[in-house]
Amino acid sequence: MNITIEINDEDKEFQVKPGEILLDLLRREGYTSVKEGCKAGDCGACMVLVNGRAMTSCTLYAAQVDGKRITTLEGLNDELADSLRQEFLDVGAIQCGFCIPGVLISSYSLLTHNPNPTEGEIKAALDGNLCRCTGYIKQIEAIKNVARDLEGGNNERRREKI
Amino acid sequence: MLSNVTKYHIPGSLGEALSLHNRESRSYFLAGGTGLALSDSNRPVELIDLDDLELDELEVDREAGRLLIGATRKIQQVVGCPDLEGFADGYLQDGLEKVGSYPIRNAGTLGGSIVRPFPWSDVIPILLALDATILYFDRSHEKRELSRLYDDDFRPTLRNAIVTGIEVSLPDEGVTRGSFQKFSRSEFDVASLNVGCTITERDGEIVKARMAVGARPSFATRLTEVEESLKGRSLNEDLIYETAELASQTAAVSSDRKMSKEYRVAQVRKMAEDALRDITSEFN
Repeated sequence: MNITIEINDEDKEFQVKPGEILLDLLRREGYTSVKEGCKAGDCGACMVLVNGRAMTSCTLYAAQVDGKRITTLEGLNDELADSLRQEFLDVGAIQCGFCIPGVLISSYSLLTHNPNPTEGEIKAALDGNLCRCTGYIKQIEAIKNVARDLEGGNNERRREKI
Repeated sequence: MLSNVTKYHIPGSLGEALSLHNRESRSYFLAGGTGLALSDSNRPVELIDLDDLELDELEVDREAGRLLIGATRKIQQVVGCPDLEGFADGYLQDGLEKVGSYPIRNAGTLGGSIVRPFPWSDVIPILLALDATILYFDRSHEKRELSRLYDDDFRPTLRNAIVTGIEVSLPDEGVTRGSFQKFSRSEFDVASLNVGCTITERDGEIVKARMAVGARPSFATRLTEVEESLKGRSLNEDLIYETAELASQTAAVSSDRKMSKEYRVAQVRKMAEDALRDITSEFN
């Protein structure tokens, strides 16, 4: 069957099998930031935005997202995404890196809907992402820093870092 | 990947969806997809997507005294719905926020959580404590109490029907508050035990109580003896201890790889106590 998805701001048509998982489609089509981890909705490595909401692509069928808007990490190119990437590097929130695309998608989704989250809200937003390296502390710190910059309008600092 | 699926239907009406389902015994309804996508089963050959049926409404009808939540409403959409803030003092939204993780709640639906009644479901005990009713389409629009979900005659009915929504009566008199307690091995693991409890008080006296225990490890059930024992009394420390003890004695729990029966008995006592104490603090 054919489906049309607006993926990373580009309309694309794909031929999919009716029982095909979205994760498999995305990786087959070269969106390799979408990682295959648990394939059970637990680890969050395959996280994407569906109409702006973070979802695990391993628990969605490709046919379900026909006509919807999908964003992978490859498609996050605005200032918020750049700030998150840079802050994750600066505070050392990345070790092996496998979980990071999913963590960044969750972080981006959080700060888009809630630019000034509490620590509890940050933890809740990341509760669908497993990271076995960092212990999350640095990731939470990075998100807090970006939120603080957003709140203070400290764009200068972000621009310097990028 | 459901490798044997050859057809993906997007029906435009409930009647069409049901006809498609009746035509092929190995067809499955699809709402959020979170449950079915995890299945590596070879059984499904057709999927029937319910997304176009507009079953995602949420309506607070104060005149009729009811809350209606459509079956394909995403769990996170209920958690974040401003119209429900304060409903049973936040019990429904606080409880549903403990279901799965944020991305799973973004995809998972209320109806799907009921159609596939996993024993460890958090949604079912939360709704049992609200006396929820299941609305379903079986060539005509029908309803049945959620507490009868596991009745022998209802499972086959539901297999050949479409769940269209959940109805909850708004508290008519008095003040209703609730608490949902969940015990799991980690933040993202399914419940090893869960307890939903609501209390309606009028003039300092309990007029209605509901307590449901799930992940026993079998399906969730209401503790009717506990509910009856609370009626007509006032919530205080003595009653909390007495009720928690009764809950631990009457909840039919058993062992599995997550928890021994003895541990579950002790946990029911503790979680019932925590739920009642939580509710008491809300009343005060």
